[in-house]
Amino acid sequence: MKAFTIAGINLRRFLRDRSNVFWVFIFPILLILVLGSAFGGSSDPRLGVYNGGDGSLAAELVGSLEAQTGMRVIDFTSRDDLLVTVERGEVEAGLVVPADYDADLQSGIPVPVELLRRSVDDAQGILGNVQSALTQQSIVLRAARFVESEGVGSFGDGLDMAQVVGDNVTDVAVTVTAAGESVGFFALGRFDASAQQQMLLFVFLTSLAASASLIQTRRLGVARRMVSTPTPVRTILAGEGLGRFAIALLQGLFIMVGTLLFFNVDWGDPIGAFAILFVFALVGSGAAMLMGALFENDQQAGGLGVLFGLGLAALGGCMVPLIIYEFFAPTLFKIAHVAPHAWGLEAFDALVIDKGTLVDTLPFLAILLGYAAVFYLVAIWRLRKVLTR
Amino acid sequence: MRHAWTIAAKDLKLRVRDRSAFIVGIIAPLGLAAIFSSIFNPIESFEFSATYAVVDEDQGIVARQFVDVLDQFGEGSKADIVVLSSRQEALDLVDVEPFSNEESADAAFVIPAGFSDAVQSERPVEIEVISGQGGVGSGVAVAFAEQYASELTYARIAVASFENLGGAGDRFASGLRAASIPPPVLLDSVEVDNKILAGKTFYSAGLAIFFLFFTIQFGVNSLLEERHAGTLSRLIAAPLRRSSIIAGKAMMSFVLGIVSMAVLVLATTLLFGADWGNPFGVFLLVVAGIFSALGILAVVAGFARTAEQAANYSSMVAVVLGFLGGTFFPIGQAGGLLADLRFITPHAWFMQGLGDLAGGNVADVLPAVGALLLFGIVAGTFGLMGLRKGLQP
Repeated sequence: MKAFTIAGINLRRFLRDRSNVFWVFIFPILLILVLGSAFGGSSDPRLGVYNGGDGSLAAELVGSLEAQTGMRVIDFTSRDDLLVTVERGEVEAGLVVPADYDADLQSGIPVPVELLRRSVDDAQGILGNVQSALTQQSIVLRAARFVESEGVGSFGDGLDMAQVVGDNVTDVAVTVTAAGESVGFFALGRFDASAQQQMLLFVFLTSLAASASLIQTRRLGVARRMVSTPTPVRTILAGEGLGRFAIALLQGLFIMVGTLLFFNVDWGDPIGAFAILFVFALVGSGAAMLMGALFENDQQAGGLGVLFGLGLAALGGCMVPLIIYEFFAPTLFKIAHVAPHAWGLEAFDALVIDKGTLVDTLPFLAILLGYAAVFYLVAIWRLRKVLTR
Repeated sequence: MRHAWTIAAKDLKLRVRDRSAFIVGIIAPLGLAAIFSSIFNPIESFEFSATYAVVDEDQGIVARQFVDVLDQFGEGSKADIVVLSSRQEALDLVDVEPFSNEESADAAFVIPAGFSDAVQSERPVEIEVISGQGGVGSGVAVAFAEQYASELTYARIAVASFENLGGAGDRFASGLRAASIPPPVLLDSVEVDNKILAGKTFYSAGLAIFFLFFTIQFGVNSLLEERHAGTLSRLIAAPLRRSSIIAGKAMMSFVLGIVSMAVLVLATTLLFGADWGNPFGVFLLVVAGIFSALGILAVVAGFARTAEQAANYSSMVAVVLGFLGGTFFPIGQAGGLLADLRFITPHAWFMQGLGDLAGGNVADVLPAVGALLLFGIVAGTFGLMGLRKGLQP
């Protein structure tokens, strides 16, 4: 049971360092909070509105824009503010209602309303909404001008008549029938997706960062001293591996339970979720052992650990959801599965979106176990040679 | 000054020999930028396209006009229009599994039988939109139908007013004349400057400023390393002013920062096609950015007791500020409280300065440069006080 003693010492050494406590427990939760509140909410396009007019028609227009579905309206107090916000992409488009909107509209002068947009594509979703609100509002005024142009009455006659008619005629309606399967990802809770992504990202990243302490163990001669005791090399390796694995598992569990309690994140079937974490912690600790075996300098391993930890996570769908790849770049979706993270996320999809159980995650877990096996085997083969170097 | 140079030159030599600064300052950001830009490019170059089905169960004069207008809309907005003969067919076409390779439509319009007659009467009438779940395509379809329905409502009211006031003639012809009256409110589409950094540039710049704090940290924290190694006492004992020691460390950090940033700007431009913008503007932002990093890391180092502690604290500060400052995720575009909060980080100012530079001119970087310098001055003052205290023999 010396292996457990070695693992225990590893774990204690790790936790004694207060900065590790920050990285392992506080930072991931903080990041999930930040990302969830920033990106987890509504993805409806935003229309910034600057209402320069003070009349009732201008106010009515803004009101009808706010009532539109599929778009959010944000009020601005100056055109310059609105302009720079559109330019910086903080809203998708901006609408400028001029100062004399009411007066001009009532006297029959065409009123230009500016729609500020960066490019045609960005404002696609908003354009129709704005046009429909404008058409809706100008119905009575436009009908009055029609009456005037046809010569059957004055603009005033037309205005009075159109108002009466307008109250009695029913609008041509649009009914929307929803069809097709909703894309499961969009049904996830505010924090769900980012919690899964960050959990996998951090379990892997922390493991890689912990590879530095394995290098220290070698460089400071701790490994040599252990070997000089009546302890077989396989026990030392098992202990070191177990230590990394315990750190990864502990962090993953903390993130799971923490986000469940604080943000009510849906992790799906608990046994299945734990199984994914368990296997992924094996993958992470395996990668850490491999890094610890391949590098000689702990500072270099630290820098490259960040590179691999963030890089593989980004590739594997922990920064941009896999569904976005699948949608926009199908080839990349395949490449993404080089990273173990992609398989972990798919396993969570099977649990959370498809409401599956442990059985449904097994194919993904098998693949992840394959990663872990390869990492550990190569690491052990290499460490047997370099442990005492 | 000469002493400061000597110290800086010695430290630089040490850093070059130890490859860590090279890995953290250049390899890691460049590697991540390569991964990020290869991931985000295909997503960014995606263009809006949609397929809409239309079912004309009415075959009347108004319904045919709807199909014509839809066709024009399709040509104008890169949407394919498919004409189907039954509502069920349309339902089947919209209702397909996401990401299957089957032929599908984002939405379908169904014009019910009797539509044309009903529009020209007072009877209630409706256009049905069968909408797929999610996606821009179905939202655009609903907005298109709403817009068309509003037009029809207008025509109904206009023609009824006209007839009530004694006008006569074919209703459809009157409706067409009503439609030709220009709407009193004209939507004037204005294309504004784009100050959003393109994906390749965003990630190159974000990673560069993110890792800059780690690079500079090597320089700032070397002061504590000297203490740990016992060489600091020897420096203090030497006939040189203490300010020279600090100035030497600052210069060496500055050089490390400038070199790594210059390499990153050049390499990301040449390798990934990042577009940093006007070189002079970029230069101002980079220098001010390094200055702010020096100040903030000096505060951190001033608080730390050992080199190890300083390294830990500075990575924490660098990572938290980096994430909050939107170097990995465009937090500004997400809006909300966080978008305002990000301006407590120099990273956010740096990124915004680059964005403003991309959509404007060199003068537009000045607010960001000013903010970064302010970070450097305020933090640097506190940092110097803390560091000087640490320079006691």
